[in-house]
Amino acid sequence: MAYVAVKGGEAAIAESIKRLRYERLRERRTIAVKAIRSGLRALVDRVMSEASLYAKELAALAIKQAEGNPEEATFLLRAYRSTLPRKYYSRLTSMGSMFVERRISAAFKDIAGGQLLGASADYTHRLLDFNLEKETSANVRAWLAAFQREQEAEKPSVMPRVELPRVTDILRSEGLLRRMQQDDTAPRDITRQSMTFPAERSERLQTLTRGESGAVVALGYAAIRGYGLAAHPTVAALMVGRVAITIDYPLGACDSDDEALYLGQVRVTEVDAIIPAAKKGQGGKQEIEIRLGYGLCFGQNESKAIAMSVLDYCLEHPIPDSPVHDEEFVLTHIDSVEASGFISHLKLPHYVTFQSELDAARRINRGER
Amino acid sequence: MQRLRRTKILIESGLAVCQKLSQQILQKYEVTVIVPPHNGLVMVKVRDQAEGKLFYLGEVLVTECRVQIGTTLGIGLVQDHQPKVAYHLAVIDAAYQAELPEVEEWEGQLAAAEDDLARIQAGEALTLERTKVHFSMMNIEGAH
Repeated sequence: MAYVAVKGGEAAIAESIKRLRYERLRERRTIAVKAIRSGLRALVDRVMSEASLYAKELAALAIKQAEGNPEEATFLLRAYRSTLPRKYYSRLTSMGSMFVERRISAAFKDIAGGQLLGASADYTHRLLDFNLEKETSANVRAWLAAFQREQEAEKPSVMPRVELPRVTDILRSEGLLRRMQQDDTAPRDITRQSMTFPAERSERLQTLTRGESGAVVALGYAAIRGYGLAAHPTVAALMVGRVAITIDYPLGACDSDDEALYLGQVRVTEVDAIIPAAKKGQGGKQEIEIRLGYGLCFGQNESKAIAMSVLDYCLEHPIPDSPVHDEEFVLTHIDSVEASGFISHLKLPHYVTFQSELDAARRINRGER
Repeated sequence: MQRLRRTKILIESGLAVCQKLSQQILQKYEVTVIVPPHNGLVMVKVRDQAEGKLFYLGEVLVTECRVQIGTTLGIGLVQDHQPKVAYHLAVIDAAYQAELPEVEEWEGQLAAAEDDLARIQAGEALTLERTKVHFSMMNIEGAH
């Protein structure tokens, strides 16, 4: 069977793109990018995390262009990112000096520095608030002024601690969790070098942190439901806060931390998950070892960071025949652009391959070989 | 004042403070733009807290500018698309690199701006404290 080249559809494609714009604008309303940035904070954070690019204004623009579709917005942001030069690599970004906006522990009630709920929908009733339909700029200004007055009038008298200890240090100090050995081996970068299996830990974590939120959460959930872990993970600490980004001074020597260049701050979500595992101790005695899974991602993406910590643990401790402990299964299926790109390509013309399948089906059904 | 502290104060204070200092240089010296403000990326390196290994978290959009005063180069680098801030930071950096006399007078202004930032941050930390949980034990009849 020979291939037949065909062309056509340019005019239809141009009209389709025009139609797409019409669907966005047909109700004669437009959303300002700044309104998306401030009012759709969770979606902006999700898109930045999945695009692996921290740029709030660009993420908001991508969301506007994509009409709120996260996979399309992530694709747009990744595509734009590929047009920019990578100028520098940051110095090691310290989580220890995070300005903490939220910090909770499911493992310990009393943690040094306390449990800070911060801003979260966790404690709301999930009832639709119909008042939001009538929200106006004047309402917003009045509410903010009242909020400000209340905050100023009843400030706590004790200044909080600036740097908070890690909750897992409690377990390390008791010897229940092994001490962490710092390893300064340069990480691999999956955006520069395709990942091969078995993957390095740095490749696994980079893939997980930019994974599609729904995919990461679904696989993390599957692991806990019985398709992987034989234990219930406990969140030792979940923290949301801002961390400083610094680089070595590009025009000269940078002999100390004090001579680094400060660029700004990014908001991140960090999770330490505790997973107990059975192990054989001295003399074959059955013992319980406490292990950790780690989650860290751009923005306030709490479910994703928790699920990342579960999958990190699963991939670090493989179990044969369990898909969520199989790094090739997990890491090759959680990327938003790769997964949605492949699924989307099924919409594209497959005329020749399908005709060939039809020919084969007809031949076989006629009893021919 | 060391570079990390200085650039943190300038960037967190914003355009007005950067512009105010840089104008003093621009009025007195010839400043040549070597590389105009342009966007680029910085890859963020972090350490995982389970195994202690390094990995890349993702990239941050930045704006960079380079200028020259006499034979001395200066660089301005800031998160996001902020061409004006990047330009003024580059002028200020060149002034520090060239050890121009004006920078001596800036120390006090920068320290004052740092105090303002510390006040704002302390205020934010205090208001966040209102969301801190204060646990109390419940009395349950029959409990031992």
